[in-house]
Amino acid sequence: MSLWDSLMAGLSLVATFEAFFALFAGICIGVVGGAIPGLSATMAVALTLPFTFSLQPITGILLLLGVYKGGIFGGSIPAILIKTPGTPASSATILDGHPMAERGEAGRALGMALWASCTADLVSNLSLILFAGWLASFALSFGPPEFFALILFSLTIIAGVSGESLLRGFLSALLGLLLATVGLDLVYGTNRFTFGDPNMMGGLNFIAVLIGLFAIPEIISMAWNPVAHLGKARALGQTKVTFADYRRSFRSIIRGSVIGVFLGSIPGIGAAPSAFLSYSEARRKSPNKENFGKGEIEGVAASEAGNNGVAGATLIPLLALGVPGDVITAIIIGAFMIHGLQPGPMMFILNVDIIYGLFIGLIVSSVFLFFVGSVAIKGFRFVADIPKRILMPAVLVLCIYGVFAVNNNIFDVGVMFVMGWVGYIMLRYRVPAAPFLIAFILGPLLEDNFRQSMLMSGSDPTILLRGPITWFFWTLTVVTIVAIVRSVVRKARSAV
Amino acid sequence: MSPKVIQFRLGIGACIVAAFLTFIGIPNWVSSPSNVQNIVLAPTFWPYVLTAMTGLAGLGLILVAGHASQDDEGEDEEDASGNPWLRLAALAAIMIATMFALPRIGMVWTTMVVFALTAFLFRTRHPVTALICAVTIPLALYAFFAHVAGVAIPQGNYVRLP
Repeated sequence: MSLWDSLMAGLSLVATFEAFFALFAGICIGVVGGAIPGLSATMAVALTLPFTFSLQPITGILLLLGVYKGGIFGGSIPAILIKTPGTPASSATILDGHPMAERGEAGRALGMALWASCTADLVSNLSLILFAGWLASFALSFGPPEFFALILFSLTIIAGVSGESLLRGFLSALLGLLLATVGLDLVYGTNRFTFGDPNMMGGLNFIAVLIGLFAIPEIISMAWNPVAHLGKARALGQTKVTFADYRRSFRSIIRGSVIGVFLGSIPGIGAAPSAFLSYSEARRKSPNKENFGKGEIEGVAASEAGNNGVAGATLIPLLALGVPGDVITAIIIGAFMIHGLQPGPMMFILNVDIIYGLFIGLIVSSVFLFFVGSVAIKGFRFVADIPKRILMPAVLVLCIYGVFAVNNNIFDVGVMFVMGWVGYIMLRYRVPAAPFLIAFILGPLLEDNFRQSMLMSGSDPTILLRGPITWFFWTLTVVTIVAIVRSVVRKARSAV
Repeated sequence: MSPKVIQFRLGIGACIVAAFLTFIGIPNWVSSPSNVQNIVLAPTFWPYVLTAMTGLAGLGLILVAGHASQDDEGEDEEDASGNPWLRLAALAAIMIATMFALPRIGMVWTTMVVFALTAFLFRTRHPVTALICAVTIPLALYAFFAHVAGVAIPQGNYVRLP
């Protein structure tokens, strides 16, 4: 099928009212979800997932992608107004956005956040369209040893989502890998930690584990301290962003977009490190570097470009290799699977109409994001006025319905509750949940590909180094581990 | 809790988990056929490798705890008003009761009660709104999941919805 045919097939799939309405609704939900501190883009995507079960695959996936993109931008609204990032990705936006809000320039900061987000989003989507197909055709030559090396490399990047302590992130990932061993053994068909319960033979439900880890701990935290969230939103102010502001920050926006695309295309890094790297590069190169941290609009632009540049690019490894780039795409991969689609190189052959339909939808999403974001900036006060002590019980009820709906199984609701308490203990002990989830998803893939490689080679481990692709990923893994060790040593020395 | 206490407790916890899995968990709950030709293909291989790494991570955390700060940084009991442990216990009881009630009285009625109880547990300042939401939100979700998404929502043994 030629590029033109593929494009037309995608257009025929996506050019419906339902598909565009789903994308638009997704962006609205995402902006609102991202703008409510404690709800986050991740939770918004997770809570929307069950609503996609009855939709057409393309409509459901566009709904989730809309929530994702809206959520990443929405997180900047509370970051600027109340110094609380709606998503971890918006953490860097606080540095200059909140000082601007304190000066009465919240409207200007939010306007720049929106413009930078839309620009970076467009750059990221174009990168996805240009590179995903190329990467997928390359990935067709992957066998179990190549996938093992790739997934091992993806796991090393867990360091990027480990937060303040690498060891705690490592422990979290190990617990995720251990939990992923529950179920029937794929080679011999024997039981592993199933306790004779048929519900556990297929392993724990991914959606139940995910919602349990991310949504339920927030609800338990609310029980611990029901008044912890109380705070005041600030006024938007009269000043607005101008085209001169945008032109002055354009270099930082493009640089941040490229950083976002590069980091987003590597599985496991996510938007927050990208936003901080983009911010630090903008600060290093800017003629106004002394204003950074005190309310510099270029800082807001760089942070938002960095985190939104990731949004489209995280879909590159998802669509091309079937490997989720971050937690949110890990949820979106669940939507693909529920609709009987397996992301990866074969999807570019078997479901090319869906791939191109998604590309078209993503380009349109940047336009929708601009209009929805403009309205959201003005309307945030109403969203923020939803009392959190009403919102959280509603989230709990939605979680119960959503998790049950995946398999029509009450057992999954129990798994969600148990994982919620595990997530809460992790929260209390500052163990990051993201490595746990990424390892839980990648664990079975890692083990299966390792064992398939061993079966192929008659247990000869040299098969894991059988060609240039495996060498490439092993080299990347070693380089990443060396970089991690160096940064830990440097951090330890600076602490002394 | 100070970083020192956190690292130390996590390290001890990880070592206990590793010891439990090595001596009780894997031998009892992971079945392995007797004719496995190579140890790396055995169903127990991967769990043992992960358990060993968990033990090592635990030891690492205990070692790092010796150099960690003793300054108290996080929120603790004194930050939460009232009796936070009692509220946590109440929430746990609500979750256990939910699991018991879901197949018996149905998802809609159970979640109505769950909504109301959690809203009051969180000491809502909008009790009337909470009660209205407790009725309308589960009904709206039921309408969507049962009639739009085609999910067989548990109806229970007593009052069944159309």
